Amino acid sequence: MAGDNEVNANESKRVVPLNTWVLISNFRLAYNLLRRPDGTFNRDLAEFLDRKVPANTIPVDGVLSFDHVVDRPTGLLNRVYLPVPHDASQWGFEELEKPLSTTEAVPVILFFHGGSFSHSSANSAIYDTFCRRLVGLCKGAVVSVNYRRSPEHRYPCANDDGWAALKWVKSRPWLMSGKDSKVHVYLAGDSSGGNIAHHVAVRAAEAEVEILGNILLHPLFGGQERTESEKRLDGKYFVKIEERDWYWRAYLPEGEDRDHPACNPFGPRGRSLEGLKFPKSLIVVAGLDILQDWQIAYVEGLKRNGQEVKLLYLKQATIGFYFLPNNEHFYCLMEEIKNFVKPNC
Amino acid sequence: MGPFDPSAAAAAAAAAAAAASSSSSSSCSGGSAPKRHHHHHHHHPPPDLDGLLAGAGYKVRSSELHHVAQRLERLETALVNSAAHIPHLASDAVHYNPSDLASWVDSMLSELPSSSFSSPCLPSGFPDPYSPAAAALGGGWVDHPSCSPHPQPHQNVVVPQQPQPQQQQQLTVVTALEEDSGIQLVHALMTCAESVQRGDASLAGSLVEEMRALLTRVDTSRGIGKVAGYFIDALGRRLLGLGSAPASAFENEVLYHHFYEACPYLKFAHFTANQAILEAFDGHDCVHVIDFNLMHGLQWPALIQALALRPRGPPLLRLTGIGPPSPDGRDVLREIGLRLAELARSVNVRFAFRGVAASRLEDVKPWMLQVSPKEAVAVNSIMQLHRLLGSDPPRDPPIGSVLPWIRSLNPKIMTVAEQEANHNRPGFLDRFTEALYYYSTLFDSLEAACPVQPDKALAEMYLQREICNIVGCEGAARVERHEPLDRWRARLGRAGFRPLHLGSNAFKQASMLLTLFSTEGYSVEENEGCLTLCWHSRPLIAASAWQAAPTVVNSPAGVINHDDNNNQLSCSPVPMLSIETDIPSSIQ
Repeated sequence: MAGDNEVNANESKRVVPLNTWVLISNFRLAYNLLRRPDGTFNRDLAEFLDRKVPANTIPVDGVLSFDHVVDRPTGLLNRVYLPVPHDASQWGFEELEKPLSTTEAVPVILFFHGGSFSHSSANSAIYDTFCRRLVGLCKGAVVSVNYRRSPEHRYPCANDDGWAALKWVKSRPWLMSGKDSKVHVYLAGDSSGGNIAHHVAVRAAEAEVEILGNILLHPLFGGQERTESEKRLDGKYFVKIEERDWYWRAYLPEGEDRDHPACNPFGPRGRSLEGLKFPKSLIVVAGLDILQDWQIAYVEGLKRNGQEVKLLYLKQATIGFYFLPNNEHFYCLMEEIKNFVKPNC
Repeated sequence: MGPFDPSAAAAAAAAAAAAASSSSSSSCSGGSAPKRHHHHHHHHPPPDLDGLLAGAGYKVRSSELHHVAQRLERLETALVNSAAHIPHLASDAVHYNPSDLASWVDSMLSELPSSSFSSPCLPSGFPDPYSPAAAALGGGWVDHPSCSPHPQPHQNVVVPQQPQPQQQQQLTVVTALEEDSGIQLVHALMTCAESVQRGDASLAGSLVEEMRALLTRVDTSRGIGKVAGYFIDALGRRLLGLGSAPASAFENEVLYHHFYEACPYLKFAHFTANQAILEAFDGHDCVHVIDFNLMHGLQWPALIQALALRPRGPPLLRLTGIGPPSPDGRDVLREIGLRLAELARSVNVRFAFRGVAASRLEDVKPWMLQVSPKEAVAVNSIMQLHRLLGSDPPRDPPIGSVLPWIRSLNPKIMTVAEQEANHNRPGFLDRFTEALYYYSTLFDSLEAACPVQPDKALAEMYLQREICNIVGCEGAARVERHEPLDRWRARLGRAGFRPLHLGSNAFKQASMLLTLFSTEGYSVEENEGCLTLCWHSRPLIAASAWQAAPTVVNSPAGVINHDDNNNQLSCSPVPMLSIETDIPSSIQ
């Protein structure tokens, strides 16, 4: 039950800093204006309201970025973030002809931004900031995929775009590293981006394309059933079930329900990953996220299929805790990610 | 001016740099005018702004956070209580400048009937920052279980200063990445530009020869090969002291017209400006548009038609078109004026035209425009203001005298469109690099979006002129001194203008205009009240609107006080502009 709105607002205020509360509540407000009951989406207003930043080839805090069109017909764009060596004056354009390193493995994170499949872009300010942080943290490259969004483009468009982006990344000489001269790719994503990362990883495993790890930040999974966490937390910490339902209806093929494997990969219509060379996974669950039961079920599903998975459960975290570096969960997460992408000796 | 001799080149470069920096040093003082970056995202936010929210694209004062939070809560409650508000807020209401969260939420609240949200007397649930308890906590956010064991950052975090190395070589990344020959070409271009900057003309010259040879092994019909070709030519011309090729006004007009047809940049500028002018003219019966560069008057038929459709009837429209004198005894300006008058007559709009022939905008004096105090004035500058930023030292750039007289006209609105790039950096290498990136993007969009000849080839020549000017000229001859939005904001602010925000309605209509161009890749973005047209997420053209900031001084026009406190355009319904791609007037 949603409960009294003021009570809910008071609850969420207690667990996040003020500026985080303002940020996420602002998104909620904007998003409420964009979803229409008939399933259509006010894309113009969405693009108007979204705060975007251009790429910047001038390094800022040791990170530069540029956009690259991967696929002209779909307009698929990747935003590439690269670390700039300390002695920036020595760094020139010719660096892009060389691999990231010839001696050690440098991680390349293929990142899928969140937004419930409908919101945000690779050049959204919050995600540009986040990706830049990842570069600094992992001392590697980040490639953020500007995948096509619903409801204009339903499943499987986002996954197809992810796959195209993966192939592109894997084939860039200037993203290669290590004595084995290959691109050391990790997949990462928050919310819907986490969902996409999973499906791209499955496809990669089937095609024997190597992914070194998956990092899913409160990934978007669901199902027809109403789980205990959905009932208990509905409307309490920035998220309502009816909104989640809307986004699935907008993303899944028309007429499908939430047990579609895109939404519920280990549900009644899910597929087995047993025997598949699926990457190790770091699954981050926010303890105040209504979807945590689905995320934990996902973790259990991976385990059942013999896959390596680590669950990072942040009990008092809400969704979006990683946008602003003003809480302990943020720092905890960053530490885990850093260790996750460290090359094995 | 010939930078053939290295010392002369150095002197010329130094002089140009000094001139540019003397005009830009005044523009760098105050505000947060960037020196290198032209997007606000990475600036140091003013100390009272919440630094973390700034990184998310929102400008909120730390002291206002509680207020904004309260408002957000009230809005959410109102929307929960009555979902009927949502369509109104989403579709009918016009939104402005979402970066300014405080004013955005306040304006939405004002759109709702006041009965729909709870009384302001109820406690918000947030600690009162002015209560003694809050003061004891240091006025910051309440400390709660999830307090970080790390030092709690202050709400108004300031991004640490990034030391910029002296000779930071700027990176140009073009789609050339994928082609080896492309990388070689770009590398050679940068090296050549760098040697030009150092004054090493002989090295530069031999590099130009090398690059010409490289070009023969590369596909010059598209992509980096084509763009590089133009830059190599421009470098060659610079080294020979040739500057830009001289062009007749007629040639300029032909190229302009094809550029207009080949891609949406000028149409976007015209369309957005016209929307803003239409709204600003609402309620006025005598209106006067001053066009800083009439050309063939392509912008005005749509405005005339929209004014004709005004619910309360069209105003008397005066149009003053500024343009170069016609050499051969023709009066081109008058001819354009006659055609526009014909159109106006056909839709029953009372219309008067005046042509002002001037070879340079700075030669125009306000008395020539014959502005009457009774009329609402719109000043329209499409890609013209940047031409006023250059000069031959020791003279000052003419912008310093032009902006004041514009302001003295007390315009209801000034619409400005400019290239969103910094091609006015004092250092040649910086300018060159930025231009290479910018025009690569522009050419890329032409290739993808305009297969039609001869529009495409002539549009490319139009752009080639600009490249030649940026690369080949200095001083007063270098007129293509594009500067990005942030610099224009600072400059116009100092000159006594304040922004008129373009809202979600203008955004939506501009987006719809783009759908007429069936290619994926164009998009419109909102940038703190201005709109930019982007190709693959790179902003290329910025459209903005301005009005004279309030003053109590008697202006020559006799106006004492500006009565309009609202910096947003009127929300009353205005007719939609119809988008005409076939302009009625015939173009030779």
